[in-house]
Amino acid sequence: MHPLAQATTQPLPLPEVDWRAIAPELALAVAGVVLLLVVAFWPRAGRGVLAGLTLAGLAAAAALTVWNWDLERVAFEGAVSLDGITRYARAVLLAVGALATLMVAQGDSREGEPDDSPPEVFPLLLFALLGMVLLAAASDLLVVFIALEILSLSLYVMAGETRRLAAQEAAMKYFLLGAFSSAFLLYGIALCYGATGSTNLLEIADATGDPTADGTLLLAGVGLLAVGFLFKVSAVPFHMWTPDVYQGTPTPVAAFMAAATKVAGFAVFLRVFAGALGGLVVSWRPVIAGAAVLTMLVGAALAVVQTDLKRMLAYSSISHAGYLLVGVAAAATVPAGVSASMFYLLTYAFMVMGAFMVVQYVSRLGPPDDDAIGERSSLEDYRGLARRHPWAAGLLAVFMLALTGIPPLSGFWAKYYVFLAGIEAGLTWLVVVAVISSVISAFFYLRVLVVAYLQEPVGDPGAETAPGRTPALGVALGLAGLLTVAIGLAPEALIAAARSAERILG
Amino acid sequence: MLLTATLFAPLAGALLVALVPAARQESARLVALAASLVTLGLAVVLAARFQTGDAGFQLGMTAEWVPAFGVSYRVGVDGVSLPLVLLTAVLTPLAIAGSWRMADRPRTYLALLLVLETAMLGVFVSLDLFLFYVFWEAVLVPAYFLIGSFGGERRVYAAVKFFVYTLLGGLLMLVGIIALFWLHQQATGTPTFDYEALVDFQKAPSTQRWLFAAFFAAFAIKTPVWPFHTWLPDAYTEAPTTTTVLLAGVMSKLGVYGFLRFALPLFPDGARWAQPVLLTLAVVGILYCALVATMQRDFKTLVAYSSVSHLGFIVLGIFAFNLQGLQGGVFYMVAHGLVIGGLFFITGMLEERRGTRRIEEFGGLQQVVPRMGGVMLVITLGSVALPGLVGFVGEFLTLLGAFLENRVYAVLATVGVILGAVYLLWAYQRMWHGPLEREENRSLPDLTRREWAILAPLVAAIIVLGLFPRPVLDRVEPSAQRVVEQTQAPSP
Amino acid sequence: MTSSEQAELIVFIILAPLAVVTALGMVLTRNAVYSALLLVVNFFCLAGFYVLLEAQFVAAVQVIVYAGAIMVLFLFVLMLLGIGNEVVVKEQMRGQRPAAVLLALGLLVAIVGALAAGVFDAEPASLAAANEGGNVEAIGRILFTRYTFAFETAGILLVVAAVGALVLGKRQP
Repeated sequence: MHPLAQATTQPLPLPEVDWRAIAPELALAVAGVVLLLVVAFWPRAGRGVLAGLTLAGLAAAAALTVWNWDLERVAFEGAVSLDGITRYARAVLLAVGALATLMVAQGDSREGEPDDSPPEVFPLLLFALLGMVLLAAASDLLVVFIALEILSLSLYVMAGETRRLAAQEAAMKYFLLGAFSSAFLLYGIALCYGATGSTNLLEIADATGDPTADGTLLLAGVGLLAVGFLFKVSAVPFHMWTPDVYQGTPTPVAAFMAAATKVAGFAVFLRVFAGALGGLVVSWRPVIAGAAVLTMLVGAALAVVQTDLKRMLAYSSISHAGYLLVGVAAAATVPAGVSASMFYLLTYAFMVMGAFMVVQYVSRLGPPDDDAIGERSSLEDYRGLARRHPWAAGLLAVFMLALTGIPPLSGFWAKYYVFLAGIEAGLTWLVVVAVISSVISAFFYLRVLVVAYLQEPVGDPGAETAPGRTPALGVALGLAGLLTVAIGLAPEALIAAARSAERILG
Repeated sequence: MLLTATLFAPLAGALLVALVPAARQESARLVALAASLVTLGLAVVLAARFQTGDAGFQLGMTAEWVPAFGVSYRVGVDGVSLPLVLLTAVLTPLAIAGSWRMADRPRTYLALLLVLETAMLGVFVSLDLFLFYVFWEAVLVPAYFLIGSFGGERRVYAAVKFFVYTLLGGLLMLVGIIALFWLHQQATGTPTFDYEALVDFQKAPSTQRWLFAAFFAAFAIKTPVWPFHTWLPDAYTEAPTTTTVLLAGVMSKLGVYGFLRFALPLFPDGARWAQPVLLTLAVVGILYCALVATMQRDFKTLVAYSSVSHLGFIVLGIFAFNLQGLQGGVFYMVAHGLVIGGLFFITGMLEERRGTRRIEEFGGLQQVVPRMGGVMLVITLGSVALPGLVGFVGEFLTLLGAFLENRVYAVLATVGVILGAVYLLWAYQRMWHGPLEREENRSLPDLTRREWAILAPLVAAIIVLGLFPRPVLDRVEPSAQRVVEQTQAPSP
Repeated sequence: MTSSEQAELIVFIILAPLAVVTALGMVLTRNAVYSALLLVVNFFCLAGFYVLLEAQFVAAVQVIVYAGAIMVLFLFVLMLLGIGNEVVVKEQMRGQRPAAVLLALGLLVAIVGALAAGVFDAEPASLAAANEGGNVEAIGRILFTRYTFAFETAGILLVVAAVGALVLGKRQP
């Protein structure tokens, strides 16, 4: 008799509710709802108040994350698992969220002007983060899907938060392509379920070890899952949306997308591929390695020809996704692949957010630009930045050199760690491709510095508007810069923390 | 501690310079000069404490840095690196003094020079491969900004070319370093980048070959070995003169030092395997660049090509794999640093006076600026290796080493010596002798006291070390001998 | 093949092409109202598939919620906004359409191939056990035991969707 039938007359065996396991997520959800209520019933609340509340929610979630730091278990009948990836991703995502909150709080407005972006962006930011931490913790493909939808829906709306045509277009594109990729993912989940009889990653892991399981069906499912994830982390050939979306989206949201979506996306990528599907590594590694090669090279090569900094950062984020895929490709056989990828995500998040913060600062220097592109992020706007705003230019230099991977900045250790993992996994050829891509990428990162440092400012410097008071952005910039340098000089503690994230529970 | 203090004194100076208020840019020069002189003082104390006759590393310091990766802060000097540390410490204050009149953002410029000094010193004293790599790449950043931000018309092109070329070589070396680290960890279970441990670690000859190739990429580009030299004339010509002094005087030694310190002892079999290729490239480079130099009209570019040609001798000496060659190579590095520094200083002084560097714009200068002409003559003769001057000792020893190893190469290289004499003396003759044709040249002022202060130490060193090379050679010999033994060691 | 299986096959053969045709028609037609109506037909076809798969509850929900509630709302909005002001989209990249068709065909072949290799030979699992005690009960049971967490998180998804609709809707053009 089927076990379900047995239970018909008995009370339902309700699963134990493990409140502690999801405490940070609960904190985020509560904070999000509270902010919604504040926005609804106190329409005149300033952005400062909303940002403060958001930060308080993040702080609470962070405190609970620390409280849960040593917890390792699978909760809710295998729906979520608490392991190294979960806690590391939680910590990174909450930090990224805090920086993004500061950027959003600064917004686009000058002194005395109303802000174009609606106050709902703060609760949406919290919900997006909730989806991301959930995605990193999800241990069941259904939860993966729902978490992915939570974060994607929030981001679609955030991308279109302003009235600018470019932002609208970006939101629409992001929505259509995101929905498309979700369909692939869902189909992949269905096929995996068909092949293994479960959506639970632990059970899938068991089933892939079982030789009687249906190979072809599972492989088709794995392929579609890969497509879905590659879309989300913007790997080639599923990267087409990234430049348009990053360029059109308001800068704070673009920064948040670039940093946080990658963290969450790669966390789940690692959990599903290196964890649950680790037994099939022979089948999927060539695909992931191939995608890594394409992603690194195409991203770097196309970044070289860009003339808009946001667009260039989008292509740069594509090529960074390629380095991370090297980590994923290595992760199934060497644990260092997991920790290298996690550490890479940490450093990358701060570098790229910092770069976007400089973009946000510089776009305030000129008069608002009302044409389709919206924000002033063309490389022309950076000419002679070093002479006009030495601090902004100095930070820009730090972030660009860190993205290039020049020691002793944080990006260097990350790149190094991924290379190390790649060589350990016997993927030396892939590491050599990564080196070539790094050299290509030096061209465009340097070009920004050439423009900012080596070229004279154009036009009348008096025509430039003052950036206005930027306390929130200033704090965010300082933090991102400090982290990028400090992690570079003393990476030990964070690497050790990443090492503890190597074990995947499933 | 002493060595660490020497290493980071310029960096601390750079921070102080950056903190000087913008309104008082002149005091930045004093701060920078003071910092570089403190460094020089520390380096001299270091040399005084150095035990002559000991082949190993001395005065070192070890500390944990990133134990998770087996990376440590490990520094020390031996007979090979000590002269180069001193050379760096001597040339930097001179370069700062040479930039005294600089009007364009002097604070930034001087701070970058000091950062560059720390990075280059770091390369010479690192005994941890990872630390070495970090300093190696760190050299790029100040050099990039010095060339790109303060250089001549085509500075951006030159800076980017320089950066991308060297970055490519550096990253390939990084792959090699990681692979070496990993092989060592596989074999022994200890994760370490310690130089001595990795030298003692036995590597299969086939592994050594491709690891050598990875290191070769970095060192050959940095040196540069022909045909990887194309970034150099652009970079040297476009960089501001005092930067060029440091680039040519010290930075060009990083590559050959890398061969000597890392590529040879770490991969003796790989080095022996590559020896014919490197000797050939060195000789081709000597001859080719000498010929190209002969045809230059811009004196700075001529000196740049002469620098590549002379570095060929150093590579030749090092890859002779015998004591004479290696010892001579190290000595030649010092000699070349002094001489090429002097040549670029004089170029800069002429350019300051006349606003041009083209050889045909000058002529008969001896009559107008006799003192400068005298200094120029000494430096030029030092460069063409007149016996009794510093260049001769290095060139003689490297050629002797090459001769013992392979006569054909030595004979061909000697042709390069003759060509070197031709282009430098010819340029000297065209600029300083002959009729004084140009009106503008009649009223040139002779050396100022500041310029004397810069050139006098160089001239003194060129003469003194030429006559009494023993103190340097004695210190180099044990360490060079050790490298010879490591290189000759039979493969497992 | 039993007679019930035969009947299933016949229904499937009727419904499947209809589903594909209505889906294509929905995308290709330029009139928004036609699109919406074709989508309704498509939803009914899907409901038919669910019935064939012995998932009566899902079939009912599909008809009631999607075809009934959502599509009616949809049509309502379309009528309210007025039809006919369609945006003419120009093709940006040449050769995009044939490339898309080629890639789609490739994907189709790959998936059909995988399914053919994996499914058609396999013994179909019986749904009798899963549906014992009633389809609705079975769904309720699994939703509140195994998938409780997913079920609850879907609530957050709905909140986000509602907020998103609000934000996008209240913005002044």
